[in-house]
Amino acid sequence: MEYLASDKIAIVDLNTGDITEDELDEDLVLDKIGGAGITKHLYDQHAADNPIVLGTGLLTGTLVPGSSLGIMTAKSPSTGKVSHVPLNLDAGIELKYSGFDYIVIKGSADKPVYLWIHDGILDINDAGDLWGKDTWAATDHIRDEMGDDLIQVLSIGQAGEKASDLAQIGINYWQSADRSGFGKLCGEKNLKLIAIRGMGLLEISEPEAFVEDCAELIAAIRSNNTTQKQGIAAVSTALGEEDLGDWLAPLTHRHMACFNTPVATNTFIFTDEDPALLEETTVTEPGFLLTDIFPLVALKKAGLSAKDAGLVLKACAKYGIDGAAVAELSAKSGLTSPEEIEKTFPDLKGPVESAGKSVFSPWAAVGQGINADWERQQAVAYILGLHPIWYQMATELTEEKLLDLAGLGTEMEFTRETLDEVIGDILA
Amino acid sequence: MGIFWLKISEIKTQIRSNRASQQPKKMESRGQETEFRIPKIGIYTGKGASHSWLWFVEIFERLGFYNLCFLTEFDLVSDSLEKVDVLAVSGGDTFAIAEALGPQGARQLKTFITRGGLYLGSCAGAYLPLNSSKEHLNHFNFVPAKITNLTKTLPEAHGMREKFCTCYGCSFIFHAVREAVEVTTSGLPPFGESATFTAPLYGGPPMTVTNPASVMATYTAFTDKTLFLVDRKLAENTLLGNAAVIREKMGHGHLHLYGPHFEHPHFSKANLFLADAMMWDMPHQTAQTANPEDGMNILSGSEKQRFIRDFKRELSNSRIVAAGLEMLPLKWTIGSKVYETGKIRVFLEALWQRIRSFEKERLILVRADQNDLLVQTALHVTKSIRQIKKGWDQKADTLKTATLLFNLLNKTSALFLEIYFRSKLFHTDSAEVGARCIVPLLRRPGQFGKIEYEGSYGQIKKMVA
Repeated sequence: MEYLASDKIAIVDLNTGDITEDELDEDLVLDKIGGAGITKHLYDQHAADNPIVLGTGLLTGTLVPGSSLGIMTAKSPSTGKVSHVPLNLDAGIELKYSGFDYIVIKGSADKPVYLWIHDGILDINDAGDLWGKDTWAATDHIRDEMGDDLIQVLSIGQAGEKASDLAQIGINYWQSADRSGFGKLCGEKNLKLIAIRGMGLLEISEPEAFVEDCAELIAAIRSNNTTQKQGIAAVSTALGEEDLGDWLAPLTHRHMACFNTPVATNTFIFTDEDPALLEETTVTEPGFLLTDIFPLVALKKAGLSAKDAGLVLKACAKYGIDGAAVAELSAKSGLTSPEEIEKTFPDLKGPVESAGKSVFSPWAAVGQGINADWERQQAVAYILGLHPIWYQMATELTEEKLLDLAGLGTEMEFTRETLDEVIGDILA
Repeated sequence: MGIFWLKISEIKTQIRSNRASQQPKKMESRGQETEFRIPKIGIYTGKGASHSWLWFVEIFERLGFYNLCFLTEFDLVSDSLEKVDVLAVSGGDTFAIAEALGPQGARQLKTFITRGGLYLGSCAGAYLPLNSSKEHLNHFNFVPAKITNLTKTLPEAHGMREKFCTCYGCSFIFHAVREAVEVTTSGLPPFGESATFTAPLYGGPPMTVTNPASVMATYTAFTDKTLFLVDRKLAENTLLGNAAVIREKMGHGHLHLYGPHFEHPHFSKANLFLADAMMWDMPHQTAQTANPEDGMNILSGSEKQRFIRDFKRELSNSRIVAAGLEMLPLKWTIGSKVYETGKIRVFLEALWQRIRSFEKERLILVRADQNDLLVQTALHVTKSIRQIKKGWDQKADTLKTATLLFNLLNKTSALFLEIYFRSKLFHTDSAEVGARCIVPLLRRPGQFGKIEYEGSYGQIKKMVA
C-alpha cells in the first residue's frame, strides 16, 4: 500500500515476545477500506488469540477536517461483542505516523510489559516499574524516561491491573470513551500501556487535488454555525444533550480540540484551584480535561456540582475506570461525594447500561440518538478515521465526498457499495 | 543463485570485481579518449567540525562520488591522508580544528597538498590555511590571502549577537551578513565563462589576494534572503568585490577555499561549480587504497536486519527527544561556536533519510565490531539527549552534556556513513557511478561542448557538441 499508509502491520505475540510484520495488502484496503473495517478483519483473523487490534482510519492524520481518529478493536468483556473504542486527542495521529498501519496484540505476557511504538519500530519493554501506578504517574514515567512530552500513552490504571469489568484504557492523563472494558483486557494481558510517537510522513497520490478539496471543505465548514460551538458544554447542547453551559462556565479554563478537528470537544476546568485566582498558582495540577460527555452529563443529572463531577472524573481517569459506569453505579447507590465515590472504585462491578448495545462507544446516554443512522455515522467515522462526534455535526462531510478524498489520496476507487459492505461487516 | 547464498570467498571475488570497476575508466567523445576516475574523498569530522560536513556528504552522494571516508584529527595526524585524493574541511570552529590538528597535523596536511592532494576548505575550513600569527593557526600558513572582516574596533551588531563576531587575539573577526549572497565566478581558467549564482554565507571569509588569477569567484551582491548583521554600507565594503572563492597552488597540489558554503545542498549551481573545480584539480595519480575486504565482516539476512533495527531504534529514540528539544529556548556556546538544539536533528535526519536505502542493501560491509560500536554510540547519543531534556526540566546546566553530545553525533554520523558508503559502493553498478561522475569533467569548457542539465542536481539531459 503506497499511499496514506506506512504499509506495515505488526503482529505482537505477548506469549512469546515475537513480533512479525506484514505488508498492508492493497486488496485488503480495496475490500475493507481501513480503520474499523480492517481492525475488525484482523480481529477475526486472530480471534483465537483474543487479540486487541490498534489501527487508524484511511484518512486519519490528513488535512480532512476532523481526521483525528485511531481505533482500538477487541472483544468487549462488558458486552461480549467485538467492539471499537475511539482513540482521540493526538493518539490517532501519532499512531498513523508511527510507521505501522495496524497492530495486532495477541496472547498475554508472563510479566508486566509495555509497548513502545515509534518510527516503524515496536519494542516490548518491561513494565515492572510501572505496574501499580495510576495512569497519570505511568504517563509521566514514560514521558520522562523517553524524554518527550508528545508521546501518546494509552494506559491502564489499578482498575485494569485488577481486571475490573469497568476498567478503561485512558489516553495520556485523560479519559477515553472506552465503555467496553478494554482496560480489563489489557490487564489480563499484563499490558500496562502502549506508548506511541510517530515522526513519519504520508504520501498522497494526488496531493494538489487532495489539498484543494480539503481547503474547499474547510471553507464550507467555517461558514457553518457548528464551528462556533466550542467546548464540551456547547457540543453537548448542540447534539441535543443536557445543557451544561451555566453549570460548567464558572470553572472553565480553556477548550481543546483533537488533532485537526474544527470543533473543540474537550474542556479544561479548574478543580483544585480557585478559578478567580489572580496570582501564580502553587498547585501542580490545577484542573482536569473533560473529554467525555457521557459521564459528565450523568453526574450532573445525579446532582453533583461541576467541581465535584470534575473531581470524580479525575479520580476515574487516574484509576483507569469508566466514568460513565461510575456515574451510573454511584447514582444507583445515591452517592454524591467525590471522596465516597472514589472509595467504591475497587469494588465496583457491572453490568452497566452505559456500555450500550452498539459495537461503538456511546458518547451519550443509552437510548438517546443511538439508532441505525447513528451507527452508520459512527461506522463511517471509524472506517475513515474521523472524530465521531465532529463527524456527526459536520454535514459537509458527506460519504460521497469522503470516498472521493479517499480515492484522491490513495489512487484507488472506493464505491458506496464497498462502504455498505464494510459497514455491514462491522455491525454484523 | 541469490546473493544471500554466496560463500564468503565468492563475495570477496565480487568485492574485487567491484573494486576493479572503480579504477580509471575511458570515455570516448568526439573521437578523443579521456581518462577519469572516481575520487577518493576524505571529509573532516573531527574536533571543531560542525554539522556542515554533512552537506559535503549530501552533494557528493548526489553526484555519484560514493568513495568517501571520514577523518578525525587523529586520522589526519597519522598517515590517513595518503589514502585520499581530496580532503574536504567544512564549517565549524577554526581555532578548535587548528588546535586539534596541531603542528603534526599541519605538516601532514602540507605534505598531502604538496604531493598533489586537493584541499577543499569551506567557511572554517577556508580560514584554516590562511596566513595567521595566532597560536595554533600559525602552523597552517599555506595561503597568503587576507581576510577583510578583521577589525580592531567591533562595529555595532544589528542582529544575531551570538553569531556576529569571534575574538581573534586583540582583534575581532566579524560576520557582516548571513544567508544567501550573490557570487560571480571569474571565468578564468579552468572555467571558460563567468557565471552568477547564489550561495549561503555562515561566517566564512571574504578574502583579498595579490594574484588576481587565484580568484575563482567574488561576492557581487546581496539577495533578498541576505540577513545583515552590521550596517549595510559596512557589509558592502567588507564583502562586495572581494574574493569569495580562491584557488591556490602548493607544490603539486591545490587548495580551494570557499567563503560561502558552496556545498550547501540547496544551492545546486554552487554545488556543480565546486564539483567542477574539484575534478579539474583532482590528483592525476590514484591515492593508495586499502584492500576493501581486509578485516571485513559481511552482514546479511537476519544478522543484517538485527543490526539495522537496533541502530534504527536508537536513531528514532534520539529523533523523538531532539524534536521535543527544538521547542525549548536552549542553546550552547561550545568553543567559539553557538549550537542551537536544531543542530542535533541535522545530524540525526542525515542518517535517518539514508536508513531506508540502507535497509534495501543486500549486504552490509563492516569492519570488525563496527556494527556493535555504531549501535552502542547511537545508544549514548539517545542517553545524552535525554539527559539534556532532564537537565532542562530540572533547570540544570547542560553545557557539558551538549559538548559530549555533539562529539558523539559527529562520531556516530561518520561511522554510519562509512558503513553506508562502503556498502553502497559495493552494490553500485559501476556504470551508474561512472555516468554521474563524468558530469563535472564533461563540463570543462571547450573540451566536449556544452552540457544541458535537467532537475536541480545536474542529471544530464543532453550534450551539445
